[in-house]
Amino acid sequence: MELMVRKTATYASTGGKDFNPGLPTVLFVHGSGLDHRSWALQTRWFAYNGYSVLAPDFPGHSLSAGEPLKSIEAMGLWLADVLAAAGVESAHVVGHSQGFLCVLELARQAPERVKSLTGIGTAAVIPVNPALIEAALRSAGQAAEMLLQWGFGQRAQLGLSAVPGMQPIAIGRQIMADNPLAADLQACADYANGAQVAASLDVPAQLILAGQDRLTPLKAGKALAENLKASYVVIQGYGHMLPIEAPKRCLLILRDLIGSLESGE
Amino acid sequence: MSRSSYLKPDTIALHTGYVPESDYGSRAVPIYQTTSYVFESVADGSALFNVEQGGHIYSRITNPTVAVLEQRIAALEGGTGAICTASGMSALFASFITLCSAGDHIVSATQIYGSTATLLRHTMKRLNIECTFIPINDEKELRGAIQTNTKLVFCESIGNPGLEVADIPQISRIANESGLPLVVDATFATPSLCCPIDHGANIVVHSLTKWIGGHGLAVAGVVVDGGNFDWQASGRFPELTEPYAPFHGIKFWEEFGPSALAMKMRAESMRDIGAALSPHSAFLILQGLETLSLRMKAHIANSRALVEWLQTQQDVTWVNHPELESSPSHAIALKLFPDGAGSIFCFGVVGGRAGGAAFIDSLQLASNLANVGDSRTLVLHPGTTTHSRLSQEAMLAAGISEDMIRVSAGIEDIRDIKNDFALGLKAANRVAGNQ
Repeated sequence: MELMVRKTATYASTGGKDFNPGLPTVLFVHGSGLDHRSWALQTRWFAYNGYSVLAPDFPGHSLSAGEPLKSIEAMGLWLADVLAAAGVESAHVVGHSQGFLCVLELARQAPERVKSLTGIGTAAVIPVNPALIEAALRSAGQAAEMLLQWGFGQRAQLGLSAVPGMQPIAIGRQIMADNPLAADLQACADYANGAQVAASLDVPAQLILAGQDRLTPLKAGKALAENLKASYVVIQGYGHMLPIEAPKRCLLILRDLIGSLESGE
Repeated sequence: MSRSSYLKPDTIALHTGYVPESDYGSRAVPIYQTTSYVFESVADGSALFNVEQGGHIYSRITNPTVAVLEQRIAALEGGTGAICTASGMSALFASFITLCSAGDHIVSATQIYGSTATLLRHTMKRLNIECTFIPINDEKELRGAIQTNTKLVFCESIGNPGLEVADIPQISRIANESGLPLVVDATFATPSLCCPIDHGANIVVHSLTKWIGGHGLAVAGVVVDGGNFDWQASGRFPELTEPYAPFHGIKFWEEFGPSALAMKMRAESMRDIGAALSPHSAFLILQGLETLSLRMKAHIANSRALVEWLQTQQDVTWVNHPELESSPSHAIALKLFPDGAGSIFCFGVVGGRAGGAAFIDSLQLASNLANVGDSRTLVLHPGTTTHSRLSQEAMLAAGISEDMIRVSAGIEDIRDIKNDFALGLKAANRVAGNQ
């Protein structure tokens, strides 16, 4: 659906159902250069099983208008405005990679908006090689190829796909090639407060980490879990792009945490 | 690197889409000869039907063996996804019917396979989908043929059998400027020689029956979604951008973006038309695909040798291959096909139509049949077979003359093919002498 956020047309996937702010809401936040389609195999289940879903495209990404935001702090604050625009008081928030840094900033700047946090394939600091940012400034498509070469695990590189007949790396490349990847990578590289922010939060949290993550290594993910005082699950055999590479495993873990919090268990 | 992996094409052809991790560790891709798949639970079945998760439901829609082939071809072509079909013709029909409805219009190259021409000229017309045929490399003709109801531009990367090479960069630019996708039948090229998506094409179709299979054992087709066309910006495709009633109002473009077309084709064409590829045929095609690049090198080498040799034979009246300087496609062939512009060539012999018939009937090794791309050398007289349903005028426009012999160069020892063709030329010479 289209939301007006700061007077700018903003697209948010609702998982294929009309958005109902009266239901428990799950907010999905995409990573660098990507969009709501990263969550295609999680959002639809939540939307059809008693939740409302928002998976927005950040400004200037895919179906959202506007200029890309320049810092993780600004992105976090923008997420609060997305929830407000949709009439949602608070939500379970799920972020992938850079998206989870934005989630941390949302929780810091608008803690009342956050019921729980789930980070997938992430870390407190996500350093970016300046050469990659320069490459993205020249050509988002070429930078995407480099990034995805590292981002997807060996199974995806061998062409395995959760959706029969599809090529997830090529899909990701196509999305990234048309999005402001350089701006996202720069924001990611500039953000250094992840560990400090994580340590300051008091909210139910969990991390889903990948055993073969080469962009946010498992060790860094575990350190973030400690900062957050969060539980974590490691999915072995997959790379950084877990929501796409191992969508069902991610979904089941999300369902367990969010479902248990909603039922008060 | 490929758009789908850091792996190189020859590795993709052998490995993509499958790892040996089942209970038995089968190194070869197993044949999943099953119609259907047991759901883990009622909720799991419901989730599959509602596209909440990926997986297999029924082999008309997807099948694990077929999916390996689809993912492998998509990776080789640089596409975001692929749909295998029961034949190349069903791949074309699925492409056209996914994009067009009654009242719509297609612009097609004139030089195309006879059955495709018949599909566009007659069968689609019965569905009130009209087609305008044009010399596809003529920029002015192409721009002039596009109407407000046009939905796609179609061509073959190497036209059959006229061997016109489509100027894919120019055609895709003009099509895209008009908000139209370019659909390319790349059967004669295979991804080993040219990947149309790299040159701007949006959808690629193959008859897998031909070089990709190579063995002549199975009929199969595939449609590759390039993922590089903005269906929303075009404004011509509400089927992809507006709610689709049979699937809970799903909006394919919003939900799937670069794989919207492939997902729509899967959800609609495979469900409703049902031209599914059998798992056994997919397995056979996979066996061919694994050695595609090796075979294509041999096909190209033999094709070049035969073309060169035929040009020196006194009973040969003309030879056409895109790599020849005499071909109108020479320049574009060099640009798009640096490793060889296919292994099909055509030629005429003394004695006209009767001479051509004598040539074909006297061959001992090459097979006279209606196929191309087999590992064996194949010959055909298009005017009386594949293109016989075309009018005289349409035949000429398609680049077919009465004396034309089409050759699909095989990978036998070149000396044996030359000896065989020498027999044919002698026979043609005898016919010409009696005229």
